[in-house]
Amino acid sequence: MSLLEVNTVDRLDRPSAYYAGKNKRRRDDREDREPEPTDKLKGATTLYVGNLSFYTTEEQIHELFAKCGEIKRLVMGLDRFNKTPCGFCFVEYYTHQDALDCMKYIGGTKLDERIIRADLDPGFEEGRQYGRGKSGGQVRDEYREEYDPGRGGYGRAYDEQRQREEDEYGAGR
Amino acid sequence: MADYDRDRRQNNHRGGGGGRKRRYRDDDDYDRRPQRRRYEEPLFVQVRRQLLTIAESAARRVEDDIVGIAKSVADHYEDEELRDTLVNISLDLVLEQPMKIPFVAAVTLATHNLKPELSAEVLKKASDLLQKHIDAGSWREVKLLIRFLGSLQAIFEGDGIFPLLEEFFARAADLQSASSEDLLGLELVKVILFTIPYVMSSPATGFEAQASALLEKTDIIASTPHALVDLVNTFSPDENKEAAGPSVIGLMQSQLQAEAGQGWELKCLPRPWKSAQEESEEQKPFEIVTKVPFPQITVPSSVPNGPRPLFPEVYLSVYSGQEIYTVPPISDISSSILRDALVDTINLLDFNRVATAKYLIDIDCYFTPYTFVKRATPFDRMRDLAGEGQSWKPEDVAVDAVFSQLYQLPTPEHKLVYYHSVLTECCKIAPAAIAPSLGRAIRYLYNHLETMDLELSNRFLDWFAHHLSNFGFTWKWSEWVENLELPAIHPKMAFIHGALDKEIRLSFAQRIKGTLPEPYIPLITEGKEKDTPEFKYLSEMTPYSKEGQELSQLIRKKASDEEIQPVIAAIEEQAQGLGVSDPKVPSTDAFVTAICYVGSKSLSHVLSCIERNKDRLLAVGADSPAARGQIITSVMDYWADQPGIAINIIDKLLNYTILSPLSVLEWALTSSIAAGTILSKPHIFEMISATVGKVTNRMRQIVAARTQTGLYEPQLSVLDETLSRERVEMQALFKFIEDAIFSVAAGSNDEMMERGDGSGDLPEDAILRQWGRRWLRVFRRKAGVEEAFINDALDRATPVGTEGPRVDGDVQIDDAEFIE
Repeated sequence: MSLLEVNTVDRLDRPSAYYAGKNKRRRDDREDREPEPTDKLKGATTLYVGNLSFYTTEEQIHELFAKCGEIKRLVMGLDRFNKTPCGFCFVEYYTHQDALDCMKYIGGTKLDERIIRADLDPGFEEGRQYGRGKSGGQVRDEYREEYDPGRGGYGRAYDEQRQREEDEYGAGR
Repeated sequence: MADYDRDRRQNNHRGGGGGRKRRYRDDDDYDRRPQRRRYEEPLFVQVRRQLLTIAESAARRVEDDIVGIAKSVADHYEDEELRDTLVNISLDLVLEQPMKIPFVAAVTLATHNLKPELSAEVLKKASDLLQKHIDAGSWREVKLLIRFLGSLQAIFEGDGIFPLLEEFFARAADLQSASSEDLLGLELVKVILFTIPYVMSSPATGFEAQASALLEKTDIIASTPHALVDLVNTFSPDENKEAAGPSVIGLMQSQLQAEAGQGWELKCLPRPWKSAQEESEEQKPFEIVTKVPFPQITVPSSVPNGPRPLFPEVYLSVYSGQEIYTVPPISDISSSILRDALVDTINLLDFNRVATAKYLIDIDCYFTPYTFVKRATPFDRMRDLAGEGQSWKPEDVAVDAVFSQLYQLPTPEHKLVYYHSVLTECCKIAPAAIAPSLGRAIRYLYNHLETMDLELSNRFLDWFAHHLSNFGFTWKWSEWVENLELPAIHPKMAFIHGALDKEIRLSFAQRIKGTLPEPYIPLITEGKEKDTPEFKYLSEMTPYSKEGQELSQLIRKKASDEEIQPVIAAIEEQAQGLGVSDPKVPSTDAFVTAICYVGSKSLSHVLSCIERNKDRLLAVGADSPAARGQIITSVMDYWADQPGIAINIIDKLLNYTILSPLSVLEWALTSSIAAGTILSKPHIFEMISATVGKVTNRMRQIVAARTQTGLYEPQLSVLDETLSRERVEMQALFKFIEDAIFSVAAGSNDEMMERGDGSGDLPEDAILRQWGRRWLRVFRRKAGVEEAFINDALDRATPVGTEGPRVDGDVQIDDAEFIE
């Protein structure tokens, strides 16, 4: 392990731009400033894991993520309406170091033959296990134009539209 | 990010919304598309980049870049930012990208001739850092900084770096004569040995005598094998003397001696200080205009051990014994020099595996051109090249170094998964070049499964399955088809079974089945393809089937313990009637099997079932050891086809203290030992290792609590007592393992003796005894490592009885008033 404070190549255990950006917006909207978003990740033991297949099981996730340390808790992301897996989860470790190692060694590798993404997270809270998309899944699955068999085919919003068009066509209009 | 910021700003000022597609500000005075901002890159940014990427490009002459960097900085000596960049980046590279040290040193040499004030700053920083790392006992960093200074030998007056190396040796000799078990002395000798080649390949001349004199001294320490070498060898010399590797420093010592006899050719090390222009002419010796004294470094009389526990290192090559050499043989000093530089690179850059992989693939940029053949040269082509001048296959040399760390005993510097990820990344960057190298490595490891250290063959298994999971589970299984005839307990069969199981754990049975050739299909049994294993109580033929079903329904509807109790009682009553010696056994079987069945949907389902019935499970274990054993049996039986899930549940039951570590060991190594055949099952080794790991982790936490600084009585005694108690328990655990397995290894296991003709000499018995020996070696080593860790920590801890600093009562009151 390097003992330098500033490294000669980028580190893979930094919070993603998504996290920094998301919190920036929130912070600017409010009068009372929240603590720096990255401060909340100091000592974080939880990871948000994305781009999972809907069919990937807890056991598979456990099998891979336990390679970075004992897992304290695993929360599957669920469709808000169907309560079925919708392609993300939270993995909580016992130590911050395990979570950092997970970003370095597991984020960006494959699980169930998909490249998964791991992002440091300030911690799971009740309610966050549900998709925030209109149809109950993750937002990214609403407007996806490519077909992804592991994540329910085309984006749901498009899918709906396509279905409607097909129905209308069938009705002879 | 930048785009996002613009959007947001725009949204705010337009009252939000509608700006999504706009990429540019739409202020009136900004009506044309802005051109890319003209931007003059400051010189320090340019130099910074040049320095950071030094030697990385095969398209540029590194010698030109070296001179270019030195000139830029020397010409702008007054630019402080530029000076700082040179000084800081140079040393950052020394400490983080060791393969670049000769190039960074060449920049410093060139700077020295242009502007000695500038190189003085580099030397100052280098020596400050060196002093800091010596004081901290960070020996790898010390080695790298000394290597850097050694490469600068030409600019120093007199003997330059040699007096410092002599001082290192004096400390090593003291340590060694004080104790034959000393390891720190070996570490210091390693620093010396791995400095010498860089001094001798530097432009300094006339130091042959000093180098040889030093080597003569280190010989006795480096060439005497340390008592622990055998214990950390990839192969126990008892199992496979031929494959057991030499110690790293012993090897380096003999290679250096050979090199001294050949005029320090050191073929692989680059000499980038050789001036670019005079290439065709006769090389002039590099001349140094002004010489400076070697920086003042103090080596404390008692050198510290450092943050990492020390062990001897063994040289492993997964490409040894090939018909043609693709990596330098151990008779060639390149083997040690390349390995050392690669291993440090790998371990230092664990925070960016992609960068690590890139440097491994680019290894040919950092050594002399004739060291390696062209990248991605096929193995067969190596045969044709073998005669002429001996060059090595860069991919093999790189992969070999990663495996040396993956198979480092007792443990590598980082989590094993890091080394997995480096290999994955290498394969992603250069699949055509790396995949065949991995293939040959896998063959070597597979062919040595019988005699390899058992912990390492399990690491191999784990890596293999994980690696394949990143590459569509494709492997040439057909080449091992004939091994399917081997007995089930044969190490190769155990590996095949174990690997397929691990693949399934990362994927699912049907998928894995689809990747296998015909002869392997029967290994993926029907049971493995079932998400929910059968619940045996659904069959009328199973005793207590009615109660078993009832229990499953009760558990499913989250019934209270009061509702469950009568069903349990009914089973126990029947069992009593049938003359079962411990009626709690069948009732526990029904209860736990029902929990597994109801919880079969997912890990969190089974965990919530266990959680709800925790008190009953805890009581069962406390009441009857036989019933506690039955908890394990029921879990293992229910998930017999998917042992990964079974051992995961056992692991959670240990966390809930429903099971004790000893109960898991007793279950596996006494009740289920089956004449030793259980030792051939990879998931059992995994379970026992994990269980022992829990105990040793806890022990280490207690040690950490006991040895924290600023601790005084009475806490010291309290913690010390806990430590002693837990330590005795841990020792008892290791003793249990030793006794249980020893009988298998010695062939005196009761069940073994009872089989066949009682001679303990059935054909399979030899294999079982070997399993026994390999298990013993692993757990003896673990026991030894933990004992050493505790002793070492306690040596440095505050002794029991140390009272806190006396606090004067009056002062305290004053303080209190002051705070108010």
